[in-house]
Amino acid sequence: MAAVTTTAQAAALHHDTHAGHDNYAAQLRMNRLGLWLFFISEAFLFGGLLATRFFLWGADTRPELDQTIGLIVTSVLLISSVSMRLAETAMERGNRRAFSIFILLTALFGLIFLGGVMIYEWGLFPAIYKGHLTPWDNKYGAVVFAMTGMHALHVISGIVFILIVWNLARKGSFSPERHWGVESCAIYWHYVDVVWIFFYPALYLIGNVVHIAAH
Amino acid sequence: MRLTSLGLVRGLIGYFVGLAVGMAAVVILRLAFGMSAWDQEAVWVGGLISAIIGFLLGVGAMSDWLKWTRGIETPLHHGPPADKPAWTRYFGVDYNHKVIGIQYGVTGLFLLVVGGSFALVFRTELADSGISFLQAGTYNTFLSMHAWVALASILLGIGGIANYLVPLMIGAEDMAFPRLNAFAYWINVPAIVTLLISMLFGWDSGWTAYPPLSLLGPVGYQMVFLAIFTIGLSSILGSLNLIVTMLMMRPKGMTLFRMPILCWAILATSIIQLTATQLIGQAFLMLSFERSLGMPFFKPIYDAAGVNIGGQPILFQHLFWFYSHPAVYVFVLPGLGVISELLPVFARKPLFGYRWVALSSLAIALVGFLVWGHHMFTSGYQPYLRVVFMISTLLVAVPTGVKFFSWLGTLWGGRLTFPTPMLFTLGAISVFLIGGLSGPILATAATDLFLHDTYFVVGHFHATIFGGFVFPFFAAIYYWYPKITGRMYNETLGKLHFWLMTPGFWLMSLAQMTAGTMGMRRRIADYDPALGVENVQLLVTIAGFVIAFSILIMIYNLFTSAEIGVLAGNNPWRSRSPEWQIPSPVPEHSYAKPIAVVGEPYDYGLAGSSYIAMAGAGDD
Amino acid sequence: MLKLPQSYADRKHFLIVGALVVIGTIVLGFFLLAILPIKAQASVQAEPIRWLFQLHIWLIAFLFSLVVVFMLYALLVFRRRKHDDSEGEHFEGNTALEVIWTVVPLVLVVIFSFIGVQTLRGATSGGDEVQVKAEGFQWSWAFSYPNGVTSAEMVLPVNKPALITLQSRDVIHSFWVAEWGPKQDLVPGMTTSLHITPTEIGEFQLACAELCGLSHWSMTAKIRVVPEAEYTAWMEEMLAAQNTQTASR
Ligand code: HEA
Ligand code: HEA
Ligand code: CUA
Ligand SMILES: [Cu+2]
Repeated sequence: MAAVTTTAQAAALHHDTHAGHDNYAAQLRMNRLGLWLFFISEAFLFGGLLATRFFLWGADTRPELDQTIGLIVTSVLLISSVSMRLAETAMERGNRRAFSIFILLTALFGLIFLGGVMIYEWGLFPAIYKGHLTPWDNKYGAVVFAMTGMHALHVISGIVFILIVWNLARKGSFSPERHWGVESCAIYWHYVDVVWIFFYPALYLIGNVVHIAAH
Repeated sequence: MRLTSLGLVRGLIGYFVGLAVGMAAVVILRLAFGMSAWDQEAVWVGGLISAIIGFLLGVGAMSDWLKWTRGIETPLHHGPPADKPAWTRYFGVDYNHKVIGIQYGVTGLFLLVVGGSFALVFRTELADSGISFLQAGTYNTFLSMHAWVALASILLGIGGIANYLVPLMIGAEDMAFPRLNAFAYWINVPAIVTLLISMLFGWDSGWTAYPPLSLLGPVGYQMVFLAIFTIGLSSILGSLNLIVTMLMMRPKGMTLFRMPILCWAILATSIIQLTATQLIGQAFLMLSFERSLGMPFFKPIYDAAGVNIGGQPILFQHLFWFYSHPAVYVFVLPGLGVISELLPVFARKPLFGYRWVALSSLAIALVGFLVWGHHMFTSGYQPYLRVVFMISTLLVAVPTGVKFFSWLGTLWGGRLTFPTPMLFTLGAISVFLIGGLSGPILATAATDLFLHDTYFVVGHFHATIFGGFVFPFFAAIYYWYPKITGRMYNETLGKLHFWLMTPGFWLMSLAQMTAGTMGMRRRIADYDPALGVENVQLLVTIAGFVIAFSILIMIYNLFTSAEIGVLAGNNPWRSRSPEWQIPSPVPEHSYAKPIAVVGEPYDYGLAGSSYIAMAGAGDD
Repeated sequence: MLKLPQSYADRKHFLIVGALVVIGTIVLGFFLLAILPIKAQASVQAEPIRWLFQLHIWLIAFLFSLVVVFMLYALLVFRRRKHDDSEGEHFEGNTALEVIWTVVPLVLVVIFSFIGVQTLRGATSGGDEVQVKAEGFQWSWAFSYPNGVTSAEMVLPVNKPALITLQSRDVIHSFWVAEWGPKQDLVPGMTTSLHITPTEIGEFQLACAELCGLSHWSMTAKIRVVPEAEYTAWMEEMLAAQNTQTASR
C-alpha cells in the first residue's frame, strides 16, 4: 500500500513539473482565460446594478452628490491604474524596488478612493463630514449605497490582493518571466477601475438632480 | 480512525463554531456602536456568513490558497489519502475530478430524495380538500423548501455529470483548476445546511421569493437568501472551470466539433451559469439588505405628497427571472446532452446532424437570455413587453425541435436495444416533449393570462424538469454506473424502476395540468371542493408516491450492485467514447498517456473507423 | 437528388407512419380536449383565450404524435433481432432535412406570434362603461364604485364592459375569476387594471392567484353578475344604505 502511494505521489509530482516551462505556459494561458471569464461573470453583476439604477431612477433623475469629491476620487482611481501599470512593468524588468513602491502607491490611491467615498458620500464619520444620503430613506440612497458599496468591496479586495502580492514579492517570489500573481492582481485592479468608469456617470452625471424632502 | 479526520466532520464543527463566533461578534459590535444587543436579522446573517467560512476552513477547502498567500508551494496530491481508508477521500477535500464528480452526484441524489420527500408531505395534505395536518404556514414552508431543495439537487446533479465526465470525455487529466473545483463543491455543503436550517424558522413565499411578501416573513428568509447566494457562487466557479477545461485542455485532434456531444451541452449550460447566476445572487442580496437595513429597492415608500420615493416590486421579478429562466435551460441542456450521447450508442448509428445538435444547445442558451418576461405577463409591466417576450419565447421552440427531430433521425434505421439507460432516454424524450409542448401555450400571452399561477404551470414544469433532467439523470446513472464501480447494476430492478416511474410520472403531470385548467391555483394549502378537482388531486398524490417508491428501488439497486453486481468489463455498451476505452473503474490517472483524436465521435457502423488513438508506451 | 440510405428512402415506412400520425393526432386531440377542460367561458375576454387554447391543443396533439409515432415505429421496426450483430446504417445527417425542420417550426412560430398578438388584444381590451376598484390586502378584498359605494362583494351588470382597477395595500396579489379568463396582479406602488365584459349571469368566485402569505389560499370574494336592472337596483339600495349611515353619524 505504502509503496503504491509513493509511486502515485511521485507520478503526481512528475506530472506537476512535467516538461517544466511548457507546463507553466499552458497553466498561464488557462489562468488568464479563467480570470477573464470571471470578469465576464462579474460584468453581469455590475450590469445588474446599473440596470437597477436606471429602473428605479429613470434616465432623468439623480440624487445630489458631491461633485468635487466625485471628480477627485475618480481621478485618483484612474491615476492608480497608471501606478499599477508601472508596478507591473517594474516587475517585468526585474526591478523589485520600483515594483514595491508603485504597488504600494496603488494601494494608497485605492485607500484614498475608499476614504473619499466612505467619508464624503456615505457620511460614515459624521464628525468629519455629514453625508447627504442614508441607505434606508429612499431609492436614491439605496442605489447609491448598493453601487458604491459593491464597488468598494471590490476595491477593498483589490487592496488585500495588492498587499499579499507585495508581501510575496518582498519575500522573493515572482520573477520577470513568472509573475502571474502580479499580472492577475494588476488586471483585476484595472477591471475594477473600468467598472467605476461606468458607475461614475451613472451616479454623478446622468439625469437632473432631484431634491427630496425629508419625511 | 478518529472521526475528526473526516473533512466533513471538521467542516460541520467549523460551521457551528463559526456560527457562534459570528453571532457573538455581531452582538458585541452592536453593543459597541450603542445599539440594542439583539437584532434577529443582523445577528443571524452575521452568524451564518461566519458559519460558512468556518465550514470551509474546517473542511480545508481553502488551505492551499491560504498557504499560497504566504508563499508556500502546495503540490497537487493525487490518490487516496496515505494514512486513512480509501473511502474517506469522499468525505473530505480531494482534488481528483472523479471524486468530486461522485461527491456532487451523490449529494444531488440525496437532495432529490429530501426535496421529493417534502413534496410527498404536502401532497398528502392535498390528497383531499380541507386542512388535515399541515397548517397553511407550514404548507407554504414545505412547498418552498420542496422547490429550492429539488432545484439545488439539479444543480448538484449536473455538477456531478459535468465534473465526472467532461475531463474523461475530452481525454484530459483533470479539470483546469482542481482546487477551485473542490472549493466549488464544498461551498455547497454549508449552503445546504443553512437551507435546511431555514426550515426551522419557516419562510413562505414559494421559491420565487417575491417581495414585498419575502420582506415580511420570519428570519428563515435570510437563511434561504444566503444559501442560494452561496450555491450560486458554486455554479459560477464550477462553470468557469468547465469552460476553461473544455477550451484549453482538449487533446490533439479534438476540435470543438469532435467533442462528445454532451460536452457541447455542458458548454452551453456553463455559459448561462457563469453569467446569469450573478443576477439572482444580486437579487437575493438586495432582498437581504432590504430586510436587514431597510434599503428600499423593492418596497414602495411614499413621501408627503404621495409620490413613491421607494422601490418597485417588479424590479425584483426582472432580476430574478433574468437568472431563473435561463436556469431552466441549465437544468435541461445537460439532460438533453445525455440523450444525444446515449442514443447513438444504443442505436449503433451516428448521431444525426451532430453540428446542428451541438449548435442548437448554444442557440437555446442564447435565446434563453431574452425570454425572462414570460413569467411576468400578469405582473403589470408595460403592455408592449408582453408581445416582445411572447415572440422571443416561442422562438426557443425552434432549436429545441431540431434536437427532437435529430434524435428521430438517429433512431431511424438503427439496431436498437433497450437496456435500462436506453429506456430512460426514450422516456425522457417523450416526457420532455409534452413538457416542452406545454410551453408555447404558456408563451402566447393571452392563454397565459388564464393559465398563469395555476396547476397547469405546475404540470408544465414538472414535465420539463423530469423529462429534461430527472429521466436523463437516471439514464446517466445507469449508463455510467459500470464505469464508476466496475460492476453492472441489476437489470430487472432497473426496468422495474422505469416501468413504475414512467406511468407514475405521466399520471402526475397530466393530472396537474387537468387541475390547472379546471381552475386550481398554485401554492394553496387547501382548495374548494366545489372546484371538482378532488379526484384529480388524489391521483397526483398517488402518482407522487409511486414515483418515490420507484426511486427507492433505484437507490437499493445502486447500493447492492456495487457489492454483488456482475463485473462489467471496460466497455459493456461498446461505446466509442474515450472514457470507455480505459479500465473500469477508472484508475487514479485516467489516461496513462495522452490520447489523440483521429476520427469522428459517433461513426458507428463505419467499418474500420476509430475515434481516438491511445499513445503507445514510451511515446510522450 | 438526396442520397439516402435504404431505411430513409423506403416510402412504405413513411406512408404507414404518416397514417398513424394522422390517427394519433385525432385521438390525442380529443383526449386532451377532454382532460383539459378550460374553464374560461363567461366573458368576452375569455373567448379568444379559449379559442387559442384549443388551437394549441391541436398543435400539441399533432407535434406530439409526430415525434412519438416516429419514435415508437422506429423502436419496433429497427430493434435489434436475435443473433443480429450488425451495426446501424452509417448515416451522419442531412442538411436539407435539418433545414426543413428548422424552417417549418419557424413558420409555425411566426403564425402563432401573429395569432398570439391578435388574441392578446382580444383578451385585454374592452370598454369602461362600468368601473369598479378592487383593493386587495392580506387576505381579503374590498370593492368600491365611482359613486362612493363600497362593498365586500362585487356586483356587475351582464354584457356591460367593465374596467376593474386594481390596487394592493401590502404585498402582491392577483385578481382572478377563472370563468372570466384573464388574471392581473395587484402590485403595491402601482395601479393595474383589467377589462372584463361578463357574458353569463351567476355567482362566481374571485380568488387571489399570487402567493401572498399565510391565508393566500382563502383570499376569495364573491362576484355576482346580474341583469342590468338588478344591478341598478342594487346600486341604489347600496347608495341609500350608505347615505343613511353617513347621516346617522
Ligand atoms: C427544465 C425546465 C423548463 C424548460 C425546459 C422549460 C421550457 C419552456 N417553458 Fe417553462 N417553466 C419552467 C421550467 C421549464 N420550462 C418552470 C420551472 C416554470 C415555472 C416557474 C414558476 O413560476 O415557479 C416555467 C414556466 C413557464 C412559463 C410561465 C408560466 C406562468 O407562470 O404563467 C412559460 C411561459 O411562456 C414557459 C414557457 C416555456 C417554453 C416556451 C419552453 C420551451 O423551451 C419549450 C420548447 C420545446 C418544445 C416546444 C417542444 C419540442 C419542439 C418541437 C417538437 C418543435 C416544434 C414545436 C413548435 C413549433 C411549437 N414556462
Ligand atoms: C427537481 C425539481 C422537482 C422535482 C423532482 C419535483 C418532484 C415532485 N413535485 Fe414538485 N415542484 C418543483 C420542483 C420539483 N418537484 C418546483 C420548482 C415547484 C414550485 C414551487 C413553488 O411554487 O414555489 C414545485 C411544486 C410542486 C407542486 C405545487 C404545489 C403548490 O403549488 O401548492 C406540487 C403539487 O403537486 C408538486 C409535486 C411534486 C411531486 C409529487 C413530486 C414527486 O415527483 C416527488 C417524487 C419523490 C421523490 C423524488 C423522492 C424520493 C423519495 C424516496 C426515494 C424515499 C422516500 C423517503 C422517505 C419516506 C423519507 N411540486
Ligand atoms: Cu392575495 Cu394571494
Ligand atoms: Cu421561463
